[in-house]
Amino acid sequence: MRAAPQLIGWSRHFLLTIHLNFLNPQAIVYGYLVPIIFLLAFAGVFRADSPPLLAQMGQIMTITILGGACFGLPTALVAEREQGVWRRYRLLPIPTLWLVFSAMLARVLLVASSVLVQIILARAIFGTPFPDHPGAAALAFLVVTAAFLGMGILIAALADNVPAVQALGQCIFLPMILIGGVGVPLAVLPFWAQRIAGFMPGRYAVEVLQPCFNAPNGLHENGFRFAALVVIGLAAGVCGVRLFRWEAGPRTNPARWWVAAALASWAAVGAIAWETGRLKPVLPEAAAWSNITEAQIAEIGFNGLPADNDIVAPLGPPSLDPSTKELAGKLASWPPGKLDDSGQSIRNLVSIAAIADLCADPREAQMARLAFRQIQNRFEPAIARQALAWIILNPDDGQAMTRAPELGLFRHPPERLVRQRSVIYAEKYLGRLLGKIPD
Amino acid sequence: MPADHKPDRSSAAAVSVVNLHKRYGDIEAVSGVGFEVGAGRIFGLLGPNGAGKTTTLECVLGLRRPDGGSIHIHGFDLRTQAIQAKLLVGAQLQAATLQDKITPRQALDLFGSFYPQSFSSDELLGRFDLEAKADAFFATLSGGQRQRLFLALALVNRPALLVLDEPTAGLDPQARRKLRALIREIQAEGRTVLLSTHDLEEAGQLCDQIAILDGGRIIAVAPPAELIARARTPARVIVRTTPPLASTVVDALPGVIGAAYGAGGWILDTRAPNRLLADLVRRADEAGAELLDVQFHQPSLEDVFIELTGRPWSGGSEPGEAS
Repeated sequence: MRAAPQLIGWSRHFLLTIHLNFLNPQAIVYGYLVPIIFLLAFAGVFRADSPPLLAQMGQIMTITILGGACFGLPTALVAEREQGVWRRYRLLPIPTLWLVFSAMLARVLLVASSVLVQIILARAIFGTPFPDHPGAAALAFLVVTAAFLGMGILIAALADNVPAVQALGQCIFLPMILIGGVGVPLAVLPFWAQRIAGFMPGRYAVEVLQPCFNAPNGLHENGFRFAALVVIGLAAGVCGVRLFRWEAGPRTNPARWWVAAALASWAAVGAIAWETGRLKPVLPEAAAWSNITEAQIAEIGFNGLPADNDIVAPLGPPSLDPSTKELAGKLASWPPGKLDDSGQSIRNLVSIAAIADLCADPREAQMARLAFRQIQNRFEPAIARQALAWIILNPDDGQAMTRAPELGLFRHPPERLVRQRSVIYAEKYLGRLLGKIPD
Repeated sequence: MPADHKPDRSSAAAVSVVNLHKRYGDIEAVSGVGFEVGAGRIFGLLGPNGAGKTTTLECVLGLRRPDGGSIHIHGFDLRTQAIQAKLLVGAQLQAATLQDKITPRQALDLFGSFYPQSFSSDELLGRFDLEAKADAFFATLSGGQRQRLFLALALVNRPALLVLDEPTAGLDPQARRKLRALIREIQAEGRTVLLSTHDLEEAGQLCDQIAILDGGRIIAVAPPAELIARARTPARVIVRTTPPLASTVVDALPGVIGAAYGAGGWILDTRAPNRLLADLVRRADEAGAELLDVQFHQPSLEDVFIELTGRPWSGGSEPGEAS
């Protein structure tokens, strides 16, 4: 039986869209070459990771999908609209939205091929493992791509011409790359940026793609993230379809409220995530400190440290003045010293000693002693050793606190200095724990 | 060979437009336009800039939603039976090109594949003299080749009605003549053609019937010859002789309603050109004057337009439209 002509035409349009994409040098550059450059750039930045790039594949894939959806699709649609191709399609005996759907489906295939090239190249060049959960990865890819294509349709509807696509696309692309957890890893961002990222789909895209590569349970417990992507993609897609234009030239229908509706979905997702406690600070991988080996600890030297009664990094004697009792009580219940992440908790306690020293607080030596006592009392010696060695060997890892008004430290020295001073205190503490420095 | 798209309602007019209205903001582009096109005819919408030709055609094609009135294509109401109507219509649009890297063959195959009956791309490429460019990118085609391809695309679904918006705009005279010949061929196959043009000569030569639009309204509908016959503008004879005819000879000529001497000859206006020409030759002979040049000008569609609107013909394209 012969298929319905509309279906034949639809299929032909789908195939022709893919064919024409491969005849366009710009589409090849942006669709394949740029994603490969991103892959190589990530490999350069995270070259010390083992296995290489495994922890960044979610980000790399998200950037590729984002590029294909926010630039590739709308650029193709708007260019064809400017040429009058969509005017011609309007004459066909088929709802024109079918052809929009065909263009979207072709884009899914093109983006999928680009992502596959990245995965294969990562494996071939850097030995990055394939996803642990390929089925889940395919599902996550489809949901993320559909959500971003919804945004691509909205961009195509709003942009009057191809340059406007670039401008609008960058408005979405750049914030997500810089502070949305897509380009810069979430754990490296300050807390405020992490919270803002909770209002952007890029964060959820990375969070559903990444576990498919290296999480033991794959996509378990990712319901909210999937829902966030579906809501944001659907809102943008519906608004895009409502505003979609077949005619070239400036837009005549008002778009303000539709754009507001699409952005409201971002705000709603972020607000729900915030209210339900899903925007907790993301800390660097625990593995960063827990992977510190005894051999690495043994190599650390303790020569050249300032004396305990020096101006730099003073450390009070073990026998504390009774006047510090209240401060000791506050420090014992201080929340940043009692995080789930032991390494970060210890870094926070060391930061307190550093801040007090840098602020020339009258209690600086006692503060340093109290922080050491908390570390000694509250953590397993092996964990304390690993965390202190981590601070010494990786001073820029993790979050560095720069103030603690709740402990009476109202001034806030620069983060760079806090990290430097933390290294000295960590050496003093670790040397004592190892018995290499007399206490 | 598959059959053409035949309208089920053969008794209905190919196109029936009743009291069509279309506004763009405060501007009423089309105001109460109505006309009927009989099957197998070439019907032209003729008008100057901003007359509403393209808007009317776009409403007929379903590209614009009218604010009022009704449009039927072979009896199918465009509002409620758009798909049935679209199956019967082929169109060549202004401001609608194709992707730069698509080939004529791919374009014809793509557009033809949406219809139950269509011409094969090979048939159309041969008929429209595009075989040599069948697999060339669209961007490399000349203006004339593009227009022929657009006409082939309009015909790809074997339509009963062909709508052409300024089909020869921007073409050189040779390409224009070729395209007009193709349009006549299409009519000879029994298809109806509805076209818009601002080219008076084209309208006069191609169309069986013309609707003159001005300011969004139809101000006259008739076959071109009838429109010209209705004109009050007299025919004009310009005659040069040696020696020049004396004014007494000219005054005695029958049917002359105006005479002036200039540029080395007499300019004579008349409503009885046959009688005037016959007598002119005889009297020149009697006066011993040798005829050097005789020019005869019938009233034209331009004269008709000027009479109807009181304004000179401006031609060109409609503001905000593609040409």
